[in-house]
Formats: sequence, structure tokens, C-alpha cells
Amino acid sequence: MRRNRYLAIAVVLALLWSLVPIYWFCRMALLTPLEIQQYPWPLFPRAPNVASFWNIFGYDYFLSDGTRVPASGQANQIIRGLYDSIFVSVVVTVLTLLAVLPLAYVFARLEFRFKSVLLFAILLSVALPPVSTLIPFYAMYIRLGLSGTLTGLVIVDLTITVPFVAWMLIGYFRNLPPIERLARMDGYGRLAAFVQLVIPLAKSGIAVAAVIAFLFAWNEYTYALVLVNGSTANTLPTAISGFLFQDPQPANLAASVVVTIIPPALVAYFLQRHVGEMNLVDPVR
Amino acid sequence: MASDRARRELSDTQFALAIGMPVFVFLVIVVAYPLGYAIWMSVHKIVFFGGYRSTFTGWANFARVLSDPNFWWSTWVTIRLTFEAVMLTMLLGLALALMLNRPMVGGGLVRTVVFLPWCVSLYGAGLMFAYLARGQTGLGTSIAYAFGSMASVDLMTREVVIEVLAVGAAWTMAPLVAFFLLANLKTIPSRLYDLAALDRLSRFETFWNVTLPPLRYTLFVFTSIITVLSMKLFDFIFVMTGGGPGTTSATLTYQIYKVSFKNLDLGYGAAMSFYLLFFILASTFLLYLVWGRRETRF
Repeated sequence: MRRNRYLAIAVVLALLWSLVPIYWFCRMALLTPLEIQQYPWPLFPRAPNVASFWNIFGYDYFLSDGTRVPASGQANQIIRGLYDSIFVSVVVTVLTLLAVLPLAYVFARLEFRFKSVLLFAILLSVALPPVSTLIPFYAMYIRLGLSGTLTGLVIVDLTITVPFVAWMLIGYFRNLPPIERLARMDGYGRLAAFVQLVIPLAKSGIAVAAVIAFLFAWNEYTYALVLVNGSTANTLPTAISGFLFQDPQPANLAASVVVTIIPPALVAYFLQRHVGEMNLVDPVR
Repeated sequence: MASDRARRELSDTQFALAIGMPVFVFLVIVVAYPLGYAIWMSVHKIVFFGGYRSTFTGWANFARVLSDPNFWWSTWVTIRLTFEAVMLTMLLGLALALMLNRPMVGGGLVRTVVFLPWCVSLYGAGLMFAYLARGQTGLGTSIAYAFGSMASVDLMTREVVIEVLAVGAAWTMAPLVAFFLLANLKTIPSRLYDLAALDRLSRFETFWNVTLPPLRYTLFVFTSIITVLSMKLFDFIFVMTGGGPGTTSATLTYQIYKVSFKNLDLGYGAAMSFYLLFFILASTFLLYLVWGRRETRF
């Protein structure tokens, strides 16, 4: 029984550790304008209200006592940022999968010349710090007219997602049973075996890959900060950090950050179930 | 399809080339070419104002980096942050994995909540920890107030800001480590624990002799991965402290950002970023030499 008590304490501590930072912002978003003027802000909002979630999308909100909470002046930036973020994330996810699936399969199953050199190149590009890749991209984009465009941002995002997801999926494909050998004896061509047998078999791994590519693009901030910040092609993170300097209502700031956490929170359950199946540790035995 | 069998089968290499070529080409364009361009930039002085100009300067940029006190300060900050973040992340990841490995009621929910921090973006986490640590809005101040004190507890000070950054970094990275260790823990046959109980091993001996050995290779790999991630960390630091107060938390990534995009000294920034890349590769190689070489894979 004592063991169980220790476990319970550990679980409570782990939950607190994971949730307190997130709670801190959810609570900020739910405070009333009056509570925001207190010092320090109350730990638990006495009358939680969702005003700020309406405000950041450009609507006034009336509290139950009739007080009007005005719409945020940064609503346009936020809505625009939300659209751009969704667009970039979806395009990056699709392009990453199209590029990585054949690549990972080829690396996992076939032997060919220069394989280890090419694998090392993939690993090296995972190790590249985004800040350093940014320097050449920044110079190139200014000269090509790609800075401040979503196309440019998508291309740069792919430099992270493609190598990382490839690394992940190579290990995953290696662990699949080699059914395509049998299929090829039965007369399937290489491509048909891949499309009709391997991809359906690997669907949970591919789903993890897709979700991780989506999260990367959704959460990506460094590239957007340098390449599209201040342009019309702002994504949600840079839109938020942009209005940090415009002295926003704390509740509105918190609400917009909470909005960016919603998609990650939705996929967390799925990811925690399947992420352990990916073979990050050594895909190239 | 199956009816195409009449055609000659491609060899492995040909098929690999056919299916992989578009991606190789893409990777070359998107990774290798910018890398090459960065090398080219690092040996040039690049001026943006009044039209793009570049003059060849040879190793001047690289030499200038070595005599730049800001660079050495940032190197020290990076080492301190990386060391602290890696230690915290690995210990926390191991603790979380051991906890999650116990059967419990509502395990799925607990696992989801524990995994959640990894899904939160680094700039979001940066904002959260900035608000948690700052005196005005922070956790410390709220707790002090709950005990009847009006003191403002500010953790964003010169003394501890790097430690706070390390805690925040561990918050975002530990779940990943925990879940891969957990996957590893699940492969340990429960028979071994029965045997350990028969041998009357203490709980620590059981952990050391039964649980730990199959984890060691994963621990090594993730120590390397977390080291690389910590040294690459930028957006979290940029949002949370902006390198401050003063230059207390200006890591190499932050310094490179400042030199390249604030001062627009791109050639110099590129040269500095190659030092960072060198440090990253060197530290993973060092880890391999002193630790990884001796571990066997399971």
C-alpha cells in the first residue's frame, strides 16, 4: 500500500509539473479586466469568462454584469495569422509525406551505393541549427523576392521536416515484416507492392510522421520571425510576438497563445500512444 | 501493376534512384545549396545597404569571431545551459518513464498530460515561463502573496536566469525522452523482476541490475539528441529572455541571430554559425567517444 501512495504522489507531481505553465496562461485568459488590475493576479479566476476568446477574433463581449469588454485591436493580425498558419502547416505536412515516404522506404529496404554517405547527410541536416540555415536563406530570399511570402516559409520549413521525418520513418519501415518480398513473388511490381501493401501496413507510423510534420510547421517560430515577420504573410506565432510590443491586454495575449496550443493538445493523446513505435534510436543498424 | 511484369525489372539501385532521385535533388537544393552558400558567405564581407555587395575577405570573419569577447561569453552560456538542460531533461525523462511504467487507474489520461508539454510550441513555452518567472506575474510572487507577503519574487535575474531557461527547456523536452524510455521499459520481461525478487535484491539493486541495462543505449542516444537540441535552442530563449538581462542568457544561437539579423553582418554571422555547428558535432562525437562506444545495442 505504501508503494501505491508513493506512486500517487509521483503522479500528482508529474501532472502539476506538466500542467502549471499551461494553466498559468489558461487562467490569464479567463481573468476579468478588473482582476487583471489586481496585484498579484488571483491564482483562480473568481468569475471565469471567455471574453478574451471573442475579443481576439474581433468581437466585443458583455460580461454577465453588463460590462463591455472591447474587441482586441490586433484581431486582424490574429485571424490572418491563423489562416496563414493553417495553410503553411497543411502544405508542409502534405509535401513532407510525399517526399519522405518513398525516400524512407528506399533507405529502409534496399541496398545501394552511397547509402551510408546519404544517410549521414540526412543526419547532418537534422543537426544544423535553424539560425545558421536562416542566414543563407535570408540572403537568397531577399534577392529572389521570396522573403515575406508563404511559399518561402514552406520551403524553409521543409528543410527541418524532411530530414527529421525521414530519419524517423526509416527506422519504422525497417521494423515492418518484409511482406513485399512475398508480394513480389506473387507478381506485384515494386511500386505496386509499395503503394498497395507497405503504405497500408505502415499507416500508424505514417500518421505519426504526418502529425509530427504538422506540429513542426504549426509551432515553427524562428524562420517566420526572420523571413515573414511584419509582412502580410505572418503566421500565428509571429503575429502574437508582434503584438507583444503593442502592449496587449494580458488576457488577449494569453487567449491567443491558448489558441495556438489547441491543435497540439488535440493530437497529444494520439501521439503518446504511437510515438514509442518510432525507432529514433537507431534506424540504421 | 501486376500486368507490367512483361517489362524488365529494375535493379535495386535503379529503383532506389528512380524513387529517391526527386527527393535527393530536393534535399540538395534545400539543404546542401544553402549550406554551400553559407560557406561562401562566411568568407565574404556582405553589405546590404546601398545595394547588395560582397567582397572576398578569406578567413577574416573566422579570425574575427575568435577575438570577439561576445562569442566566448555566448559559448560559455551555451555550455552552461546545455549541461543543465541535458541533466535535467534526462533525469526527469527517466523519472517520468519509470512512473508511467507502473499500472495505474486513468493511465491514458496521465500519459497524455505528461506528453502535452512536448507538443506545445517553444515560443509558447517561452511566453509561459517568462510569465511564470517574472516578478510581476510570476508563480513565486503568487505563492508569497498566498502566505501573506507582498514580496515580488523575480527569477529572471542575472544569477538564475539560465537555470530557469534550463528548467523550461527540460519541461518541453523531457516527455520525448520519457516516452522512448517507456517503450524500452515495456520490453523488459517481467520474469526478470520475479527472479530479482527471489534473489532478494533491494529496490535499488533491481533498478541497477534489471531495469537500467536495457535502457543504457537509449539513454546515450537521447543524451546526444538532447545535447544537440539544447545547443540549437533559439526561439524559446528569444521569446523568454531575449538574451537578457543584459547579455546574461545570450547563447550562441542568440548571438548569431543578433549579429546576422540585427546588425545585418551576414558573413560574420555565417562564420560564427560554423563554429556552432562544429561545437554541436564535436560534442556528439565526444559523447560517443566517452560513452556510446562502450554501450551495446539491444
